[in-house]
Order: sequence, then structure tokens, then C-alpha cells
Amino acid sequence: MTTWHADTSLLTAYSGGTIDDARAYSLEAHILACETCRTALATTADRGRLDRMWAEIAEAVDVPRPDIVERTLLRLGVREHVARLLTATPSLRLSWFAAEAITLGFAVLSADAASGGRREDLALLLFLMVAALLPVAGVAAAYGPGMDPTYEVGLSAPMRSFRLLLIRAAAVLGASAVLAGVAALALPQIDWTAAAWLLPSLGLTLATLALSTYVRPLVAAGAVSFVWIFLSVVATFHRDDRLIVFRGGGQIAFLLIIAASALVLARRREAFEGGAEE
Amino acid sequence: MATDPRHATSDGELLQAVGAGDRGALRALYERHTPWLVLRLSRRCADPGVVEEVVQDTFLAVWNGARRYRGQGDVAAWIWGIGIRRLIDRLRKRSPAPAPVEEWGPASRSAEEEVLLGVEYGNLGAALNRLSPELRAVMQATVLDGLTTREAARLLGIPQGTVKTRLMRARAELREALA
Repeated sequence: MTTWHADTSLLTAYSGGTIDDARAYSLEAHILACETCRTALATTADRGRLDRMWAEIAEAVDVPRPDIVERTLLRLGVREHVARLLTATPSLRLSWFAAEAITLGFAVLSADAASGGRREDLALLLFLMVAALLPVAGVAAAYGPGMDPTYEVGLSAPMRSFRLLLIRAAAVLGASAVLAGVAALALPQIDWTAAAWLLPSLGLTLATLALSTYVRPLVAAGAVSFVWIFLSVVATFHRDDRLIVFRGGGQIAFLLIIAASALVLARRREAFEGGAEE
Repeated sequence: MATDPRHATSDGELLQAVGAGDRGALRALYERHTPWLVLRLSRRCADPGVVEEVVQDTFLAVWNGARRYRGQGDVAAWIWGIGIRRLIDRLRKRSPAPAPVEEWGPASRSAEEEVLLGVEYGNLGAALNRLSPELRAVMQATVLDGLTTREAARLLGIPQGTVKTRLMRARAELREALA
């Protein structure tokens, strides 16, 4: 290190802007290599300005880096606050998707195993029942007290809880549909049955939402699931056609359920603004 | 010089700690290097708001890129390299603002002062100061700040060709003055 150091008058002239360029150049070149002169120069700095700038740096440093799901959403053009809300949804975490995938995988496996046998349509019924039920569980876990870590935040947020609910429900429904769709490709044969769960899943999900304007989301989801499973079990006694729930009549019934649920939701949406729990 | 405990750790060690996610180390680096960085940037950009943004950009870049520092050369020089390039980026984003060249250069100096400076700093300092502000700005950007012709052109808001011709003229004038 050099033994030459800038004297006080030179430093004062530099920090005060009254120095000529030639001397400024030599000081600037020196300062990059001399800690002593840097320290001496630091005493002339404006403390308030330094703290103000640091506050902004600290804030930027503290912002957590978005995780992979959130980054993907942002890249897809989802707005920042919506992406954050979606990634805070319990049933939109990777662990949840993994659980869904495993469930569907077992249903598909059993369908494959039963392929060609007497119980073929029984296994297919199981798959359809599970595929339609997954988004119900997902939506039930997506909001409400005790499930949603941002529930209290959501109640006081400027965004309406109802809108948040719809965004999340749509995301859960979409994600489940993609998973079930992929799983359906692995079914022993691909015909109309591979997509027969689509309307039922939409109908069951909307029915759950509509019902949760009266009772807690978990109770609503439980009730809907119970009725659905009960219907499916009853269908197994129908020896000629075990998939009867998924045929024309059933699909039309689900269209009616969708319409009725949407109507209930539209009329009773106020129930989501903090009043759905007991 | 190691009497102040804050200076017991070297810049290199601090930078390593920053790379490991130590916010306190970033603060320490900030305290050591912001004062000169602000002053040096302010001599190249007249807008204090832009200077503050550049300082913030720079330390965020240090935070995110500390692991890329390979331990060669002074940390201060590394920080300056980031800072001056962030300044160029910021200036480029703003529409072709007039380069602050005219605001530089000390006001007219008395003949007496000229003589005193000549005595104190010899021929080179006087010769440098006698260069026109435009030539000096180009010398400063390329020789002192280590910018490429292209970066200097962006910083000063002039074409690359002009940077080259001015640099050549500045060298010729200095050679003549020192001959």
C-alpha cells in the first residue's frame, strides 16, 4: 500500500465539489486502492442520506424470492398479487399435487389391472369417481378458517374474499383437471369415459362452494363427497350399466347442478366476506 | 489501522459473507464504500436522484452477485465497475438527456491560481486542467473509469466516433503540453 494519503483540504475540496479535475482524477484513482482515504472521506458523508438509501436497499434485500410455482405463474403473465395469493393456497402446493397424482395413479392402475375382466367397468367407475372428487377436496382445502394460512389476511384485504375464492377455485379446478386428464390417457381404453368426469367435477365443486355459503367449507365438501360416493355405490348395483351416472342423463343433471350452484353463489356471495364461519 | 473493530474484517471477507447471505456484512460494505461512491458518481451525473438509484442498484447487484467476485483486485474497484455501468444503464433508460458535460469543469480560475496549481502538481495537472471540458470528460471516462469506447459514448451521450476523435485530440494536446 502506498504511504501517500490525501490531506484534509484535498478531501474537503473533493466532497465539496470545488476541486479541479486533475486533482479529482488523482484522488479518485488513489481512493480505489486506499482504505485510509476512503475512511477519511466517509466522515464527510451525509448520514441521513446514507440511512435513507440503505432503508430502500434493505427492503429490496428482504423481499423473499418467489418460489418456482410463483415464478412460473409470473412468467405466464399472472399479476404479482394474484400469483402470491395462489401460491399461498394449501391445495396449490407441490405436495398437494403429488398427493393428487398418486391417488389418480392408483385409480388408473386398478382400471388397468381390471382391464378385460368382469370388473372392468367397476374400476373405471372408481377412476371417474376419484377424478370428479379431487377438485372438491382441493377447493375445501383452499380457503376458510383453519385451512388457509392467509385467511385472516384475506378478510382484511382490499380484494373481496369472494373474488379470491373464485380465483383459487378456478386454479384448483384447472390444475386438477390437467392431472386427471393426463391420468385418463393411461386408461386401458380411451373413449368418451376418459372425459366423463369433467362435468361432474365442475358440478361437485360449484355445489361445494354454494353449500359453503351456508355451512363451513369442510362440512360442505364432506356433504357433497358423501352424496357423490353414495350415488356411485348405488350405481354399482345397476348390473347392466354401472356407469349410468356418467351417461347422458347424468351429465344433464350435472349441468343443472352447475347452473343452480352458480345462481346460489351469485345471490349469496356476501356470505364469504367474513361470515361463513360460525 | 485496525483499531476500529468494524475494519478488522477485510472487504474480501465481508464480500464472502455477503455471498453466504449475511445482511450485516452487506451493511458493513455499504458503510465503507457508499460515501466515495456517491461522490464519484455525483461528479459524473448531476441528478442526485439518479445517483441514489444507482447506489441502490449497485449494492443490490453486490448482494446478488457477491459469489461472482473472484478475489482479484480491490473490492472497491469491483464495486466501482458495477456502479459506473449501472449509471450508464440508468442514463440510457432516460431518453437522450443532454450529457452533463457543460456543468463540469471548475469556473474560470484566476491567473494566480493557475500558477499555483502548476507549481503544486507540475505540468501534467495543469495540462489536464487546460483541456476543454469535452476532452477531459472523454479522458475521465476511458482512462480513469476504465470504460470502453462504447460505454463512454453512452455515458456522455455522444457517438462512439466522437469519443475516439476526442480521445486522440486530448492525447495530442497533452503530449504537446508536456513536451
